[in-house]
Amino acid sequence: MNRIKVLLENLRRGVVTEQYPFKPIRVPERLRGKPVIDPDKCAGCGACVNACPPNALTMRDDKHSSMRFIVLFIGRCIYCGKCEEACPFGAIRLTREFELAAENREDLYQVVGLRLYHCPLCGEPFTTVRLIKRVVEALPEEQRAAATLCPRCRESVTAHYRSYARR
Amino acid sequence: MRSSGINQVRPRNKYELMIDLRRFGEPRLRGKYLFLSRIKSGRLRDLVDYLHWRLGGYYSTSIGVDERPLDGYFHVYHVFVLEEYGVYVLVDLIADPGHPVVESITPVVPAANWAEREIMDFIGVKFRGHPEPHRLILPDDWPENVYPLRKDYPYDDKLPTSDKIAKLVRESSPATWEPEAPGDHTVIPVGPYHPALHEPEYFELFVEGEKIVDARYKGFMVHRGIEKIAESRLSYNQVSFIAERICGICGFTHSTAYCQAVEEAAGIDVPERAEYIRSILLEIERIHSHFLWMGVAFHLLGYDTGFMIMWRLRESIMDLAEELTGSRKMYGANIVGGIRDKWDIRDDKAALIKRMLDEIREEYLKYIPKIISLEEIKKRTRGVGVLSRSDARKYSVLGPHARASGIKTDVRKYRPYAAYKYVNVEIPVLDDGDIYARMIVRHEEILASIDLIHRLLDNIPKTPLHADTSYIPERRHGIGCTEAPRGEDLHFVITGRDNKLYRWRPRAPTYNNLLSVPAMLRGEYLADAPIIIASIDPCFSCTDHVVVVDLRSGRRRPLRTRGVVGGR
Ligand code: SF4
Ligand code: SF4
Repeated sequence: MNRIKVLLENLRRGVVTEQYPFKPIRVPERLRGKPVIDPDKCAGCGACVNACPPNALTMRDDKHSSMRFIVLFIGRCIYCGKCEEACPFGAIRLTREFELAAENREDLYQVVGLRLYHCPLCGEPFTTVRLIKRVVEALPEEQRAAATLCPRCRESVTAHYRSYARR
Repeated sequence: MRSSGINQVRPRNKYELMIDLRRFGEPRLRGKYLFLSRIKSGRLRDLVDYLHWRLGGYYSTSIGVDERPLDGYFHVYHVFVLEEYGVYVLVDLIADPGHPVVESITPVVPAANWAEREIMDFIGVKFRGHPEPHRLILPDDWPENVYPLRKDYPYDDKLPTSDKIAKLVRESSPATWEPEAPGDHTVIPVGPYHPALHEPEYFELFVEGEKIVDARYKGFMVHRGIEKIAESRLSYNQVSFIAERICGICGFTHSTAYCQAVEEAAGIDVPERAEYIRSILLEIERIHSHFLWMGVAFHLLGYDTGFMIMWRLRESIMDLAEELTGSRKMYGANIVGGIRDKWDIRDDKAALIKRMLDEIREEYLKYIPKIISLEEIKKRTRGVGVLSRSDARKYSVLGPHARASGIKTDVRKYRPYAAYKYVNVEIPVLDDGDIYARMIVRHEEILASIDLIHRLLDNIPKTPLHADTSYIPERRHGIGCTEAPRGEDLHFVITGRDNKLYRWRPRAPTYNNLLSVPAMLRGEYLADAPIIIASIDPCFSCTDHVVVVDLRSGRRRPLRTRGVVGGR
């Protein structure tokens, strides 16, 4: 008897399968999908690279072209959203895009290239032009000069100032 | 007769227990942890017998740690859970690096069989008197004397290429084993793919006609080496994501157990709101897991209508999870110290969840009571795959599997964590020990979980979502336990420096539950094997949390050793 009841219940229910992919499917507003970097906002600071647990985000400095590359490989991404949390500029965001099958491996990469900034004293590249601009803009006038130096040069210069000030 | 002294009197609380245990070694009580070190020689097995069989505690797992960089020794910690006393007893054995051998406890507690062998494989501590001292996890062609979880073994070492293996094998000639078939029975291999759930595992069934006379299990084919990655490369907060990926079904409970272990070790108090949200997500996960199991069980019983119904319902619960966390299964909400900001459950979400849950419950009740009272379901599950209470104790089985064999156990109730501290949890316990009992236990748990989520949602307190975790002291031990859908999930950590773990070992419930499968298979019909195996809701990727292949097991019998152990 119960067997019949289960069947009747099923009949009453009708079709439950979705028309997807022939019709779009509803996606919740919070869905964590493919992360995308906004190349206009990214300053190449590398905060997201440090936060990313599976190394889906990597960073590479190329001295020849004087460029820094932030590389996002979706193939390794676990959609955790750590990058989004870490980014100080709101440049990397998880979208609601989830249809990520690709024909080529290359399609799974996003590369953002930024010009490297060289230390005016020693000439070593240590950050990106965009980042140094933002840092300098955020600082009070008197601290700006020191901020444009690489950490090593800054240290020796400020050490010099300090010893000067003490006298 | 009290004349024989204090030894005859059962300790009444953890302090008396500590004094009592002085007979065996040097106890040290730190909060919930009772460390017992310097075990008196020849007393280890008496101690284990006392803890597991007499004091009402149970053996949970063993962990091997290479602490040579810290104090010069290898350590083996046997963890016993004594719920009545509210403590974990950690029997701390040290092994000399030059000659790392300790006494085996498997002869007293068979449940320790695998854990000890895992330590032999990974840390290289040998266990004297182990009945089956063979490889459990490492593949047969792995070179001798290379122990991946030792601290001097680099995490990014490439797996030896075949040439290199051939050379190493030639040099070390590890013994190879072949299991002996019991008598002249037919051997039916089941696996390595999907005898029950669609994961790699391999059972060898020895049959006489249609009756199973013996069974063996080989597993660990999906060991991924995550402990090593976590200890070498990941920060505390990154590990919770890899912990979640131990399993595709009970992931969140793993990440919760991991976070709790670190929080315990570092003395971090998690804010209440985060505890509530953790519990809510954990219950959603339990419902999802039990739905999935029911579907698989009906499928294996040949009732595919039931399978389709359960998996349709499972879609609804995953939709619910997706609304709440942005992902159907990987919730990603946990960090050490609480819950991430975006995962907050605000009132509008709570209302939505309640509505969705009500719908799911109504739909579920329309079908399931009818299905589980079907004659064909009962006939195939009642009295089949029975695990007696004493066998259940012998293998330290956990979760619904234990509760269906009359053992009252549930971490949520007896060692409350997260928000289970604030609410009453009902746990169904049945005595029959058969597949039907396991089904009923899970059925009742589904209903209890739905009810529990409602109560939790009504009471979410307004506190911050995470605690300050900027300082995590070094060399602290912590154990985090949760009641996963399949039973107690235990994560053991030792904190390290540079925002990293020194040691992390997760132990999933299937690790213990699987050991009991051969006992359930013996004497049953071959046709029932798939449902018997599936009835524990085995999760192989959880169990194989760490690297690779090939184990012989199933029953304590001497295995024929073929080949030479050469050289040394
Ligand atoms: S979502 Fe997670 S895994 Fe993916 S890029 Fe961001 S941090 Fe890395
Ligand atoms: S995406 Fe954000 S965090 Fe990552 S490098 Fe660019 S600015 Fe830094």
